[in-house]
Amino acid sequence: MSLLEIKNLSVEFGSQHNPFRAVEGLDLTVEQGEIVGIVGESGSGKSVTMMAMMGLLEGQGRIVADTLQFDGKDLLTISARERRKIVGKDIAMIFQDPMTSLNPSYTVGYQIMEVLKIHQGLRGAALKQRALELMEMVEIPAAASRLAAYPHQLSGGMSQRVVIAMAIACSPKLLIADEPTTALDVTIQAQIMDLLVNLQKSQNMALIMITHDLAVVAEVAHKVAVMYAGQVAEMAKVPGIFRKPAHPYTEALLKSIPEHSKGAHRLSTLAGIVPGQYDRPSGCLLSPRCPYVQDKCKAQRPGLTAIEGGVVRCHYPITAKEA
Amino acid sequence: MSTVLQARDLTRYYDVAQGLFKPAAQVKALNGVSFELTAGKTLAVVGESGCGKSTLARQLTLIEPPTAGSLLLEGQDAATASKAELKAMRTKVQMVFQNPYASLNPRQKIGTQLGEPLDINTSLSASEREERVRAMMTRVGLRPEHYYRYPHMFSGGQRQRIAIARAMMLNPRIVVADEPTSALDVSIQAQVLNLFMDLQEEFNTAYVFISHNLAVVEHVADELMVMYLGRAVEVGAKEKIYSRPLHPYTQALLSATPSIHPEDRRIKIKIHGELPSPLNPPSGCTFHKRCPFANERCQQEVPELRALDERMIACHHAENINS
Repeated sequence: MSLLEIKNLSVEFGSQHNPFRAVEGLDLTVEQGEIVGIVGESGSGKSVTMMAMMGLLEGQGRIVADTLQFDGKDLLTISARERRKIVGKDIAMIFQDPMTSLNPSYTVGYQIMEVLKIHQGLRGAALKQRALELMEMVEIPAAASRLAAYPHQLSGGMSQRVVIAMAIACSPKLLIADEPTTALDVTIQAQIMDLLVNLQKSQNMALIMITHDLAVVAEVAHKVAVMYAGQVAEMAKVPGIFRKPAHPYTEALLKSIPEHSKGAHRLSTLAGIVPGQYDRPSGCLLSPRCPYVQDKCKAQRPGLTAIEGGVVRCHYPITAKEA
Repeated sequence: MSTVLQARDLTRYYDVAQGLFKPAAQVKALNGVSFELTAGKTLAVVGESGCGKSTLARQLTLIEPPTAGSLLLEGQDAATASKAELKAMRTKVQMVFQNPYASLNPRQKIGTQLGEPLDINTSLSASEREERVRAMMTRVGLRPEHYYRYPHMFSGGQRQRIAIARAMMLNPRIVVADEPTSALDVSIQAQVLNLFMDLQEEFNTAYVFISHNLAVVEHVADELMVMYLGRAVEVGAKEKIYSRPLHPYTQALLSATPSIHPEDRRIKIKIHGELPSPLNPPSGCTFHKRCPFANERCQQEVPELRALDERMIACHHAENINS
């Protein structure tokens, strides 16, 4: 059985009469010890999916799904009290900006120990010992003295390490990292990615990496889901998806990276932006921007079809055209 | 090929108050940087946060006078220029900032904001100004109706287009772009980079492109300057440095940059730790604490920039480690 199983998840915001579907019919399974990358532009619903799963959208969004199971528990029907026991313990999350996800008025030691107190009931010397161990696990130098430091006294990379220490405090089964390195320098980004992958291996946890940087997921992920306007456009294994993208959107994303067009004067671009609440097309959501658009694409929304190594949401996937 | 800008030993120190009764400490944000900029070419400046990139931008845009050294803008030294001369010189250098959400005035219409540089620096009539603004808006890919809109009505990519249009209004010789695409999605980043390249071709503008994304830099740059703690460590033509980086820091930066096809990458060197505090920089070569090749000489002697293999490099061991 999969660790995380999401089937046909939809998240709606706004009024009942005029709802905005931020996520529409999303399927995702994550196995134990697997690294899954979720990529897409801003507004494609990457973060909302994860927030919905963790129950962080209470009161704002309406969540509908056929299945939303984590580790055999149904997250749709679970009570708030039970959910609190899972979130932060078995599922942990790291956010983009470490400076805003730490509380500026408490020391980092206090914030790490708070997690241990609540979820593992540790007290006294054992508590401090475990906090110190965690700081060392995330390779913070002079860990003992840093326990008493406030977040503003640490650099961005160090703060992100503290956030990771908090997230792995209870050895979660699933760690969700939402753009964990976007705010950091490349050298620090490489260090943090190494750390995350090493922790993922040593703890055998599943890791979901949300990012808009395709190169980051290309280096670490086993499987990548490319999202567009609230739907999964393509989901396939690495490196297959980067070698032979089946969806025109995946192809366009790859082409727009400077690395792809080395030596070329102009980068190839995908015109326009992700459609918002009021300008979603009736056919395929990518149809106004797609270079291969046909009449069928404008009229009918494509469903997910299986391809070699994954699934794709396109009437005319690229590999089929070539074959 | 005409040289539009020449910096010689450009230096900028800042005094930092340490406390009421302690003497002020000095941050050597820019410590003797020399380079030349040719019309129609792009100099890329790369390095981690805190290496002096943004201080360099402030010097080039004549916002602050240098502590020492000279900055020749079309033959005129900014360090000794009078106030009136500086005002005239400033129209030749314009800047594009990282975050277009913060660099545009939220209370002014786009037309007004784009017309402001003309209003202040030229004696054009209102109708002539509007004509020029509209021409520039078309040039950067904005629609005529956008003239009367406010910044919040635009997407991030469009806002960056507006910021670029504003920088180009006075037809400057030099545009300093400080991380212009790091807040944007990859597909939008490609559009904005293309715009930069097109404008350069049309107006023969010289760019100083500050970035920590080496993939983007490889696409736009002609010349490259790698900075570390206020000094240039490797300066030269882009092709030379990318095909064979000689400084260990450049090598580390290149190997830390994630890649879509990681198996194609040749260099694999990792550096540990973070940028040291510029308040208390290490003795000798400032990079020696993180450098895998450092020995005693590096701890004592500051390496000078010297010519090697068609570029300038500041490393004692450049020959040994690359042979």
